Parts: sequence; structure tokens; C-alpha cells
Amino acid sequence: MPNARELIKRFIESEGHKVDAAPPDDAGVSELLFRTRGQVFSVTTAEDDDAAFSISTAYEIPEWAREPTQNNEALERVHVEHPDVVFTLAHDGSLFVATLDERAQSSQELINGFWLLVSRLRDAGAQAIEDIVDRTESKVAAEKFINSFMMGGGQ
Amino acid sequence: MIDPLRPIELALADEGLFYTRDDDEDAYRVAFKSEGDRYFVVSYRDDPTFVMIGSGWALPGGVDAIDAIDVANRLNVRKKFVKTALWEEESDVLFTVELCVNTTGEVRPHFGRLLNVLRDTASEFFDQLREDDAPPP
Repeated sequence: MPNARELIKRFIESEGHKVDAAPPDDAGVSELLFRTRGQVFSVTTAEDDDAAFSISTAYEIPEWAREPTQNNEALERVHVEHPDVVFTLAHDGSLFVATLDERAQSSQELINGFWLLVSRLRDAGAQAIEDIVDRTESKVAAEKFINSFMMGGGQ
Repeated sequence: MIDPLRPIELALADEGLFYTRDDDEDAYRVAFKSEGDRYFVVSYRDDPTFVMIGSGWALPGGVDAIDAIDVANRLNVRKKFVKTALWEEESDVLFTVELCVNTTGEVRPHFGRLLNVLRDTASEFFDQLREDDAPPP
């Protein structure tokens, strides 16, 4: 009987996607990497717990929008709307990782809902990046207006 | 002889997808899946500047063909790139992007976008069909 890692790998491949599989580390945790819709996703499984796995994907934050304190607040707000997705700022705030932890009753259940989970993660991640960019753009626009006003440009 | 669909194979590699080839004396063909859904790319030997990317779906049983054509028409008016058509005595629906290119290398940088549009159009087609079928509140 194949383990969860092997089942998920076979499933993703059967759905048309190439999978890079890293061997399990010392703790028995292994990672599968695949691309879909231009985004790389990672599926992590543990050898001692076939029912649990997590899916992650990373989003690069545009250089001009890298404000860790504000971005953490934005990620917290999006987390409230998507409580099953955990966001983590990484690499000095240049990117964030969105992770969805899942516990399936069976391997079949896990596979049946797989693309739905990917979709939930993608929606949450897209909303987070949009929120970060929108907030930064609004702030820049407001600062431009205030600067212009302070320099006597206002009527 | 240059393989006109080689750039499409490279685009599929960019997307991290497997593919198969099924060329014959009339056409070059690539078949692939993305998230489990099947797609194809065709280029004809006697019309090498034409390339078509598409996907075909069976209509659910009990769907009224007139309703389906109506949804397809509405999508054809609104969607960029994608043509939606009922096929095979109205039992299948076909979503295609048809392009005129000097080489399919021109398609490669836009392949992800075209796939997204095909995916979204199929999804909207079936969502609208369900909505049109739903009983009035």
C-alpha cells in the first residue's frame, strides 16, 4: 500500500503536472513540488502521520510594497477571512508564504478535494497580495496628495 | 522539417505540464492535462499559420440545447480570445482559442494566460448553465 506522499505524487502526475519529490528528511517529512497556473505549490507530508499534510505557496511582494509591519497587519486581516490559511512573512519581508494544513479521513478524500484546497489557497494568497499592493498604492497616492498640498499645490 | 508545435511543447514545460503528441498526415497535435482537465493544441499541415488551443466537455444529461447555445452566445460576445461552441449534436461543448501566427513561438509567452481564459470560460459556461436551470426564487 503506497503512503500518502506516493499517493499524492501519483495523483498530481495523473492530473497532468510534473512533480519534484524530495526524499524524506530525518524527521520523516517530505516535500512535493509542482506548478499550476504559473505558481509553484509545495505539498508536505509526514511519514508517521498519513492523514495530515499541508500545501504551501509563496508570493513575492513588490519591492516598493515591502513594509513588514503593515504587511503583517494585511496578512492578519486576510487570515481572518480565510482562517484555514496561515500567512508567514519570510526573507526579510520580500515574500510571504500561504499555508493550508489539512487532515483527511482517507487518502481518497484527500485526493478528491485536492484541487479545491489548491484553489482556496490561491484565492487567499491572491487576496493577500492584492490587499498589500492596494494599501501601499493608496498610501503612496495619499502621500503624494499631502506633499503636493503642503507645498502649496492644494486649493 | 521544423516542428511547428515545438514552441508549444516548451510552453507546456514552462507550465510544468506533461504532454503527448498525436501527429498524422493532416495535422500536428499536442494533448495535455492541467488540474485533471484535458486540452489540445492543433496546427494543420496545409495551414501552418493557424493554431488552435482548446478543451472539450460533455454536457450534463438533461441540459436543454437552446439554453446551452444561449449561454455560449453570451460568452462569445463577452470573452476575449475564446470561442464557445456546441458540438456533436449538441452533446459536447468546445472551448477554443484560434490564432493566426507566424510561428507558435509567438504563443509561448502568452500560453498561461490563454489556458486561464479557456479554464475560466469553461467554468463560467457551466456556472451560468446551472444558474439558468435553477428554479426562480
